[in-house]
Parts: sequence; C-alpha cells; structure tokens
Amino acid sequence: MAAARISGVRIAGIASAVPDQVHLPEEFFERFGKDEVQKVVASTGVYKRYLAPPGMCTSDLCQAAANRLISAGKWDRSSIDAIIFLSQSPDYSLPFTAAIVQRRLGLASECAAFDVNLGCSGYVYGLWLAGSLIAGGGMRRVLLLMGDTSTHVSEEDKSVALIFGDAGTATLLDKTDEPGDFVFTLGTDGRGEKNLIIPAGRCRKPSDAATRLRNSDKDGNRRSLEELYMNGAEIFAFTLAEVPKTVRNVLVASGRTIETIDSIVLHQANRFILEYLGKRMKIPMNKIPLSLGEFGNTSSASIPLTMTHCLRDALSQRKMDLLLCGFGVGYSWGAVSCSVGEIIMPEMVFLALDKIERETEI
Amino acid sequence: MDDQVRKKIVSQIEILVEVDAGFLAEETMVSDIEHWDSLAAVGFIAMVDENYGFTPSPKKIAASKTVGDLVDLVAAGLDGK
Repeated sequence: MAAARISGVRIAGIASAVPDQVHLPEEFFERFGKDEVQKVVASTGVYKRYLAPPGMCTSDLCQAAANRLISAGKWDRSSIDAIIFLSQSPDYSLPFTAAIVQRRLGLASECAAFDVNLGCSGYVYGLWLAGSLIAGGGMRRVLLLMGDTSTHVSEEDKSVALIFGDAGTATLLDKTDEPGDFVFTLGTDGRGEKNLIIPAGRCRKPSDAATRLRNSDKDGNRRSLEELYMNGAEIFAFTLAEVPKTVRNVLVASGRTIETIDSIVLHQANRFILEYLGKRMKIPMNKIPLSLGEFGNTSSASIPLTMTHCLRDALSQRKMDLLLCGFGVGYSWGAVSCSVGEIIMPEMVFLALDKIERETEI
Repeated sequence: MDDQVRKKIVSQIEILVEVDAGFLAEETMVSDIEHWDSLAAVGFIAMVDENYGFTPSPKKIAASKTVGDLVDLVAAGLDGK
C-alpha cells in the first residue's frame, strides 16, 4: 500500500489507566525457579506489571482514562460524535463494548459506536480510523479507546506468563484547521495466524472439556487451547522483516528522517526486541522511550501508555514530531508520522476495583 | 564455507547459551544444551541477522537436532545470498 495521508485532524488529548494491583516476577520464583525467572526478566526487561483483578475489564480501564481525560479537557460529552473501542478483551461476545461504554460515559445517543478487534498494531490503526472518520466521515470529535487485560494467559506457561500487563487508554481526536498531516503505512500478513493465537473458545473451535484442559508442550509450558499461545521466534522473525521496512517507508513518505523525528514510540513488545530494532534501524535508544519495564507489554495500549508515562510533560507543553509503530498479532503492523503536542495529558490513572464507575451522571 | 567460519558460528552459539569456549561440538545435540530454549532461538535469529545479514527460518531452527544443523542453516543462508 502507498502511504495514506490524513489532514485536518489533531490529537487533542491522551489519558491512560492501569489497575492499581502491582505484580512482580518474584511471584514466579517457586513455579519456574529463580534463575529461570531472572533470565526471562533480563531479556524481556519487564520487572513490574499491573494486572486487573477479577471483575475489572478493559472497558473499565478505558472508561476511567476517558473520564479523567474529558474532565481535564473540560470537553462537553455531547460533542463526541463517535466512540471506537479497540481491544481483544471485550466485556462480552455480544453486545459490542463501545455501546456499553457510550452509556457509561454519558455520551449522546447521536454518537456512533463500534468495536475493532486488533492487538499490538492497534494504536496506529485506531488513529488512522478515527482520523478518517473526521477527515472524510463527517465527524468532528472522536473518542478512541483501546487496551487489553491479559485474561487467557496461563500462569504455567513461561513464554507468556511474565510479559503482559493490563491497561486501558483514551485518545480524543478533533477536526482542526491547523496544518500538519498524519502519514500512515499499514500492513497485514495473515500467515501469522497460528503464531500468536488463542485457538479455541470461539466459533472455529468452540469450548468443550478438551479445549479447557491444560497440556504440556515440548518446553514444559502448560496451557489449554483456550489460552494464549505465542511463538516468540516466529514473531521476532516477522518483526525483523516488517518493522524496519515500514518505519523506512513512513519516513520517506512524510519527508522526515530519524534525525528530525523527536521521539519514536514503538509497541512495547519486550526490551530485547526494541533494543535490537533500535540497533538495526540505527536509532539512538534515547529516542525510543520505554515503559515496558514498569508496565509490561500492554498490547494496543502500549503506545499511548508510553506517551503518558514518558512524554507527558513534553507533549503537554510543545509540539513534537513523532513516529509511532505498532506490530504483532495477525500479523498486523502500522506506522504513522505525525506532529503532536500542546495537548491535554492527565496523569496516569491507577484504578482500584471499588472505584469502577458503573454510571456517569450528566 | 570453510572450517574457520563454521567454528566461529559454533563459538557464537556458545556465547548465546552461556557455555565456555570449546564446550560445544557440531555433533552436540541441541536438546542436551541446558540453555537452549525459546529465548535462545530468538537470540540466535538476532545473532545471525546482525552478523550474517539474513533472518534464519524459525521452523528450521526448531527442526535442528544438532549444533551442526544450526551451522548448516547459516551456511545455507550465506550461500543463498
């Protein structure tokens, strides 16, 4: 695909929320052995994560982020024309979660709402989609919610148990007359289907007694067919094949270079991958902000969460030239070059289970 | 590929799996290497990409039975360039 260019759109604010429950790698010493856990942490760089307790969903985290954002920006809730909920952890199989959040946020009934099922590439796709609704879809203000809770991860599977964190984010996009384009490159390779997958529990292979049973794989990891399987080597090979290419393409299409970009926010897959990508693309690591040490790999939330955690002061005060790049499940990937700044960026929300707002009175 | 290059690849694998120089032979079974796991496979891909300029197939890495098979993978990749 040639690069897609969207103008007349600006990011007006970003907020992020994580559960208030901290989890440390030490919890796995007994199960996997201290040396083994420390080896994994040394490679992934994830030394802390926030995980949602039972009863807290991605929608709760996104709602908390959205409420903090809307309050901070003093936007009129009825001015939001569309709400997108992008996640792999919806409240239900049906109805779709965007409708539930539309009511709970107290948005107008004239508000368009829909869900999108994407993972680690989601933020770039979400900006493209929300931006397109404004640039060509007649909308003036769009609320983009995204994130995941890592349900369906087996605590007996070392290849996934120590990496993922939970988060929900809210990004508000507005129509604007200001100059400045968003330049996107997007891609898909469905051959990645089997390499990052929850094989059972939905239509292709419905849940039954056998799909709920955990079995050991050749590395001794135990998981059921209703839990996440990740082939790390295949994902890494895909990342090396596509990410440098898509970053290069979006730089060329937007007339920018690594030197002129202020910050390159990559999906927080794990530290080994990000450091290797930095080396491979000759990007100095001080241009690649990292949040994964404290929050883990938070799927589609990882880019906005990193912006909140690492770039909040800068983005609140001034414009920055950013390159954002997400890649993962599908396979799916995307990069966007854009100028973002002087936006509303509230502090991170640490959400307690008893603080989930079931209703918003307006 | 000459023997020196093959030896060098073996020594690079030794660094990856944290064993002393000379510990591995081409005949060593991959399954006998304590630190050969999915993280090591990712490290092997990065090592080959960085030093030899191509990405070895994860399927072929998983199918490799001996250290020599891994060296053959690198050799085949270099021949194909």
